[in-house]
Amino acid sequence: MTDTTGGDVRLSGISKTYGSFTAVHPLDLTVPAGSFFALLGASGCGKTTTLRMIAGLENPTTGTVELGGRDVTALPPHKRPVNTVFQNYALFPHLDIYENVAFGLRRRGIKSVKKQVDETLELVELGPLARRRPHQLSGGQQQRVALARALINHPQVLLLDEPLGALDLKLRRQMQLELKRIQTEVGITFVHVTHDQEEAMAMADTVAVMNAGRVEQLGRPADLYENPETTFVANFLGTSNLIEAEVAEATDEELLLTAGEAKLRLPARRCRGAARAGDTILAGIRPEKVSLAHADEAGSVPEGRNRVQGNITDAGFMGVSTQYVVETRAAGRIAVYEQNIERDGRLVPGADVVLHWSPENTFGFDADARSIHGVQQPAGEGV
Amino acid sequence: MRWLRRNLVVIAGAATLAYLILPNVVVTVFSFNKPRGRFNYTWQEFSTDAWREPCGVADMCGSLALSLQIALWATLGATVLGTLIAFALARHRFRARSAVNTLIFLPMAMPEVVMGASLGTLFLNMRIEFGFWTILTAHIMFCLSFVVTAVKARVMSMDPRLEQAAQDLYASPLQTFLRVTLPIAAPGIAAGAMLSFALSFDDFIITNFNSGPASTTFPMFVWGSAQRGTPVQINVIGTAMFVIAVGVVLIGRLAGSRRKRS
Repeated sequence: MTDTTGGDVRLSGISKTYGSFTAVHPLDLTVPAGSFFALLGASGCGKTTTLRMIAGLENPTTGTVELGGRDVTALPPHKRPVNTVFQNYALFPHLDIYENVAFGLRRRGIKSVKKQVDETLELVELGPLARRRPHQLSGGQQQRVALARALINHPQVLLLDEPLGALDLKLRRQMQLELKRIQTEVGITFVHVTHDQEEAMAMADTVAVMNAGRVEQLGRPADLYENPETTFVANFLGTSNLIEAEVAEATDEELLLTAGEAKLRLPARRCRGAARAGDTILAGIRPEKVSLAHADEAGSVPEGRNRVQGNITDAGFMGVSTQYVVETRAAGRIAVYEQNIERDGRLVPGADVVLHWSPENTFGFDADARSIHGVQQPAGEGV
Repeated sequence: MRWLRRNLVVIAGAATLAYLILPNVVVTVFSFNKPRGRFNYTWQEFSTDAWREPCGVADMCGSLALSLQIALWATLGATVLGTLIAFALARHRFRARSAVNTLIFLPMAMPEVVMGASLGTLFLNMRIEFGFWTILTAHIMFCLSFVVTAVKARVMSMDPRLEQAAQDLYASPLQTFLRVTLPIAAPGIAAGAMLSFALSFDDFIITNFNSGPASTTFPMFVWGSAQRGTPVQINVIGTAMFVIAVGVVLIGRLAGSRRKRS
């Protein structure tokens, strides 16, 4: 509504309960002005409710919503300087594309809308379709109309509720790039709700992972992926092998862990929470960071790497890579993704192998984090 | 044989259409008749007398005017009330909602004779004078259920996010209703209104129980005159109504398809 580009969103102690069901637990969240922020989580985790509270379509049970320093908690949706791209777009079926896009301007009493509408339709490359009706457009085109209809108002914050959910995979990837380009171009704060972890990581500057009405972890996509702090995050963003291990020795630099007969090393800075000797923690390793060697060549594995012995139970050929499931005595089942560069013909189900990886790539967190947030998923079961 | 098999659907369709249209054709043809005697039941000779003098029969055009008047007001009343009820039933959860939902269907399900007679008894006991107002009240009542049914179906199938989107795009609650809700519900409202008009205009049974000596509607006039003799003008009015109705539907269709194409 104002011409300041962007505006930060500050949620303080915001929560939502429906009867006895708590959709969102009291939550503090700050989205910096001009950033691309993603709320990521499975369906029913409270991410859409959070978004709708920012839009004003849902009244928070407790807490306040601030936009650019102004408390808007009591304002109805039509008085808030935010616009939403709805799931399934919610385009007005009785209006053509031009009038759909012009809707917000007209409601604010702006008379000459032509120039702005034309420019905005240009931005989303829909100029020639201005006089069509929504139902005559493809899903991808409708998606862009929904975006144009919101962007034309220069909102302080643009809210996107699963905007790409209804598109097929190829179009989704294309629209991800497009959205990112538009966000950079207009500089408006984007808050994007999605259940697709790849989508969140590909587009957002900051991702908040939500589970059961709480934010489990918040950070840059790479940090979340490399250093998940809970079991849920470790398995929602990609797949993780989580190994229950006991801390044998702890120094400022490094933790020495024992899991069965295997000894593992973990850099202290990659372990969340203080771990002392005797504590039980979960050590994690991403499947693509594990290397696989046939047992006959165990000697060629360099010194200093974490190593675990096991037996291949399953191998799935995926074209660019092969996904193995390896049963180990020390660490249970471990998933391994191997690039198909030089395939070792002996790596078939039944073969004895040695798994090894760099201690640097290991992360760890308190084993209790598992019991607080969700259940652990068995390694190898893709998310 | 193969030709028959291939065209069976078309033949069946044409036969059904003929079945539907034949009575109207007879009415139209006999509107050009010049009957000998008082009954217009056998073809005699071609004449345009009745068309040149449509109001040539005593009291007929008066009853036609009354019918049109009642139909218009009944349509207006039933459409406004029915639309409001439909929105209430589709949008809000209140205590007697399911009871209202069922009761609304009662006029459609109940035999007209029963409803007409009981309504007449009610008016009589309330000492209300029979006439225009009793007929109008009765008509609004039985038209209501049709409007509610048509509008409710439309409102129920409407995506609630459309109204949220309008609010999100700076439309106040009133603007949201006028700019989004109403236009989207309009086809349902229009269907209910057209149905109301047709039902009210040709209702005989309920009207007969609730009319006064000075208020004779067109269907009542036709029925009454059928015992003494049927003037050709009845066929003229019938044909005219048929043509107008077909015209309205055609215009509606044309407008609809043009909107879709543009």
